[in-house]
Amino acid sequence: MNVSRRATTVLQYAFLGTAAFLSIFPFIWMAISSTNKSIDIISGRTGIGDAFGTNVANFFSQVDVPLVFWNSTKLAVLATLLTIVVSSLAGYGFEMFRSKARDRIYALVLLTLMVPFAALMIPLFMMMARSGLINTHIAIMLPTIASAFIIFYFRQSTKAFQTELRDAAKVDGLKEWQIFLYIYVPVMRSTYAAAFVIVFMTNWNNYLWPLIVLQSNETKTITLVVSSLASAYYPDYGVVMIGTILATLPTLLVFFVMQRQFVQGMLGSVK
Amino acid sequence: MAEVRLTDIRKRFGALEIIKGVDLSIEAGEFVVFVGPSGCGKSTLLRMIAGLEDISSGELTIGGTVMNDVDPSKRGIAMVFQSYALYPHMTVRENMGFALKFAGMAKGEVDARVNDAARILELEPLLDRKPKALSGGQRQRVAIGRAIVRNPLVFLFDEPLSNLDAELRVHMRVEIAKLHKELKSTIIYVTHDQVEAMTLADKIVVLRSGVVEQVGAPLKLYDDPSNTFVAGFIGSPRMNFLKAHIASLTDKNATVSLTSQPDVRLTLPIAAPSVAVGDVVTLGVRPEHFLGQGKGDADVKVKVDVAEHLGNTSYVYAHVSDEERIIIEHGDVRDIASRETLTVAIAASRSFLFDKNGNRLR
Ligand SMILES: Nc1ncnc2c1ncn2[C@@H]1O[C@H](COP(=O)(O)OP(=O)(O)O)[C@@H](O)[C@H]1O
Ligand SMILES: [Mg+2]
Repeated sequence: MNVSRRATTVLQYAFLGTAAFLSIFPFIWMAISSTNKSIDIISGRTGIGDAFGTNVANFFSQVDVPLVFWNSTKLAVLATLLTIVVSSLAGYGFEMFRSKARDRIYALVLLTLMVPFAALMIPLFMMMARSGLINTHIAIMLPTIASAFIIFYFRQSTKAFQTELRDAAKVDGLKEWQIFLYIYVPVMRSTYAAAFVIVFMTNWNNYLWPLIVLQSNETKTITLVVSSLASAYYPDYGVVMIGTILATLPTLLVFFVMQRQFVQGMLGSVK
Repeated sequence: MAEVRLTDIRKRFGALEIIKGVDLSIEAGEFVVFVGPSGCGKSTLLRMIAGLEDISSGELTIGGTVMNDVDPSKRGIAMVFQSYALYPHMTVRENMGFALKFAGMAKGEVDARVNDAARILELEPLLDRKPKALSGGQRQRVAIGRAIVRNPLVFLFDEPLSNLDAELRVHMRVEIAKLHKELKSTIIYVTHDQVEAMTLADKIVVLRSGVVEQVGAPLKLYDDPSNTFVAGFIGSPRMNFLKAHIASLTDKNATVSLTSQPDVRLTLPIAAPSVAVGDVVTLGVRPEHFLGQGKGDADVKVKVDVAEHLGNTSYVYAHVSDEERIIIEHGDVRDIASRETLTVAIAASRSFLFDKNGNRLR
């Protein structure tokens, strides 16, 4: 029994260790590569080099870093806030208000999850073009705001929100919007945190749709810029690695700051 | 403190009628308990009084004012929920003061009221804790405190003790009774537990499938139930029902004989006989009303299944025939367990007669 238990433990650690290594390896490789010259990276060098300073300098000379970061941050934060406001209201509404049409509408919302983005791209682009929104950040945000997945996530989490809290608040004199704002939002804060992490990462890393819509350098985001560096005729991989590091940092930061709330929110615990 | 009147109150969810015309008068200062099996509509009726469910038809007045369409917060009610429904992100103090603060009451006044209620309920040391850090009983007291500070005309309780363990439930039951004495307010209290109903109520309202079966003081319902449902619901262990038929009738009395033991005959007074000789009836006898052999009006022989000795009393689980199982409370005999059969007596004065629809014959 003791032996088999130890064997199980060893297996568990081996499995988790492998998974952890596979997840972390690209980051390590990215960090190491950022210290090497492009030619060394291509030839497969795995040690730490001395080109970090040059790579950083090159990156900053080739890219308008403040502008690109401003674009990315503005887009990601705004889109995330809007998505969370709209989707949490929808999730709350779907769970709290009974009506005959409710489940049919909800099924329709979930159905949109089945439609791949590739199928929407062209109609969306035409809509944006007709509305004169091409090359604006609004065009990036609009299609993402009503996220079926986040609506689904909020509705599921709302099932753990005691309906008697809403009743108690009504007896205490709160109107529906006040119940949402003063009771629901603070009670569900870990759900909000988890949603924030997920949506922020999705928006920050959003690539395909911005690539289509954003056409001038003034509006481009960090993901677009890094990818255009990587697809140049003679890409400087050292510089690209600096770009990927800078592009990764904000999401890492958001994740680490909100890690505990994120895990709680994913577990669906209402504290 | 205010009276509450319900006139032909009905509730429909879609095509389904859940509350089927309730008429009820609750006097100011009265402690009224709605009791009935789970799903009979107690909570729905209470929530209609609170304003949490719309009233499909009928009229509700509180303190003489029609309240059908008045906002819950303006009905002069306060409610204690089964799950307590304390706001988890607020401290005990904030929970209790929330409604007052929200209504725009000055901070000094809010604090004074919260402190008062906290003193009555012995919550003072807990005021700065979050609900998470409280035990079930403490949460319960906070929920009551939150209702008290609002100084309502009517308190509404929805199964407030059902989440507590047995010991705490008894304790809180006494606390609530004391509170009613102290506050003298009108209380409407919902429970499915007949013991809670018997011990707390000035007046019990027995509900079944959205219909009021009987209204009355606890002992009135115990002594004089109007049908088998009320008779079976009030009292514990529940009343025994024996199949019988009318053997003979006079203008004052009916003599019945048990179907399983025809030679067991009992004569009960009935005023306006709506039955005929030969009709099937039900004879109701409470477990505690059986007497020793020969001490009543008729002796019944039963087969003993199991006996439970609780010290102060004993319960005998027995059967009169294969289908008719009964419980007998038997204080005196301690060697029942070893017996196969037992003869007990029934007294006509402590028996109830019901017609085949379960309505009382009296
Ligand atoms: N919002 C609703 N929609 C449909 N049916 C409901 C609703 N609320 C309660 N009911 C039904 O009404 C009946 C009475 O419920 P309830 O008042 O909660 O019973 P009780 O409190 O006596 O256990 C139940 O059968 C329940 O399913
Ligand atoms: Mg109920």
